[in-house]
Amino acid sequence: MQLFLDGIFLGSIYALFAIGFTLVFGILDRLNLAHAAVFTAGALVGIEIVTRLGVPIWLLIPMVLVFGAVLGILIERIAFRPLAGRHDAHFAGLISSIAFGAILLSLLQAMYGADTRRFPADIFTPTRVEILGATVSLLQVVILIISVSLMIVLTWLVAKSKLGRGMRTIAENPHAAAVLGLNVGRISSTTFALSSALGAVAGVLFTLNVNAASLGIGHAVELKALAVIVVGGMGSLPGALIGGLILGVAEVLAVNYIGSSWRDMVAFGLLFLILILRPQGLFGARKTREV
Amino acid sequence: MSDPILSVEGLQVNYGRVEAVRNVSFEVAAGSLVTLVGANGAGKTSVLNAVSGLLRARQGVIRFKGQDITKWPAHRLVKAGLVQVPEGREILGTLTVAENLSLGGWHRGSTLHKNVAGVYERFPVLFERRKLQAGALSGGEQQMLSIARALIAEPEILLLDEPSMGLAPLIVDEVFAVIEEIRLTGTTVVLVEQNARRALAAADFGYVLETGEITHSGPAHELLADEKVIEAYLGLD
Repeated sequence: MQLFLDGIFLGSIYALFAIGFTLVFGILDRLNLAHAAVFTAGALVGIEIVTRLGVPIWLLIPMVLVFGAVLGILIERIAFRPLAGRHDAHFAGLISSIAFGAILLSLLQAMYGADTRRFPADIFTPTRVEILGATVSLLQVVILIISVSLMIVLTWLVAKSKLGRGMRTIAENPHAAAVLGLNVGRISSTTFALSSALGAVAGVLFTLNVNAASLGIGHAVELKALAVIVVGGMGSLPGALIGGLILGVAEVLAVNYIGSSWRDMVAFGLLFLILILRPQGLFGARKTREV
Repeated sequence: MSDPILSVEGLQVNYGRVEAVRNVSFEVAAGSLVTLVGANGAGKTSVLNAVSGLLRARQGVIRFKGQDITKWPAHRLVKAGLVQVPEGREILGTLTVAENLSLGGWHRGSTLHKNVAGVYERFPVLFERRKLQAGALSGGEQQMLSIARALIAEPEILLLDEPSMGLAPLIVDEVFAVIEEIRLTGTTVVLVEQNARRALAAADFGYVLETGEITHSGPAHELLADEKVIEAYLGLD
């Protein structure tokens, strides 16, 4: 039970990161490879905010959400929009988002150095609670609550709001969306803002969980998140959630029962297995487009 | 024409370095039905897309109700009452008929329900199929849906791009009957068609487009009677 819960905590962070990743892919058909850098930036800027201002966690999260949203808008404007008219826009966006991520990481290194950074030790009191016979820290519970509620809010937004209706229309047919009078540019940039806001908060939660952040944490999570969204079904929000949780639990169990060097082996082995059994992913949507 | 609702002056549209449209000028009087005819690839869709804000004009000025709209984005034009029914219908196949219709009213929150009800009355077949995926409709029904969806946006001017394309002759008759009705409600219509005879027969005024330029223009019935125009540009059908 203890292991299972630890896996869920970790998995919920993967899921939060992956859901932002898959949101942009599912709606705008673009892979944003700067997402990992946003995760790192969220973590480091989060630490900076707490160190300087000493804000509590309930204030930190909204601040990081805003920071991430602004980053997302910049990514869309700088790395994607100028290339929108090209017929190789997919590939060009992939490359320019890698470049954006690299620049962002260099900036972070220039500002904070390459050393591992931590939250001030005394700000989050290590209260422990017992759930179903397992001991977990209050912080872990808070992490889980934050990530799950953000994912619920996002899913609701996409499914029910007018913005979400616009997003789904663009996902299906961006040309038709423009003809119908949807502001495709603004909806795209909002999609990036939401995606990056979640990515940045995922960075903070990840760092809170292990209390260490370095420039490399984004890359470690990026490949796992790609695995998660492929396993969950590209573009599927519930797929990213379930995929993230499965990966988190699998990793924790692998470390405990087989050994920590087997962690990635198990995680990516699982990816292969699921893809062999279900090539479209767990929640893979059949993408039918009108010809 | 004293005060045209839409006017285009010296329009040039490029795709990369290729000129698709050169020095195209035309006017549309309020309440009239004007058609742009010409062969496939003559630049008709490019003209329409530039007017709708979906393509940037390289040169030229486009005016709608006296305002310079040359640089307006598509969503602003739809809100202002300039609405397009695109080539190939562009219905959203995985959404239901009802969802497609409500997207037509993106900028029309308060009047949406009334407009949808009005459209259902005019197109009972859409009411019957409102819960079906739009992709399951026949070609003719999809074209009706595409027109109906545009009407929900309350257009002052409706731009139709090849509405008869790929439809059986009987369905084409229906489409033209609908266009005639729309025009009778006072909505200005710009019709782009390959089916030139049919379009000129329905229109007040016509422009003939050939390889990106306007070669003939005049009252539609005169163009239709002009043997030279018919032979050279419209073909014999």
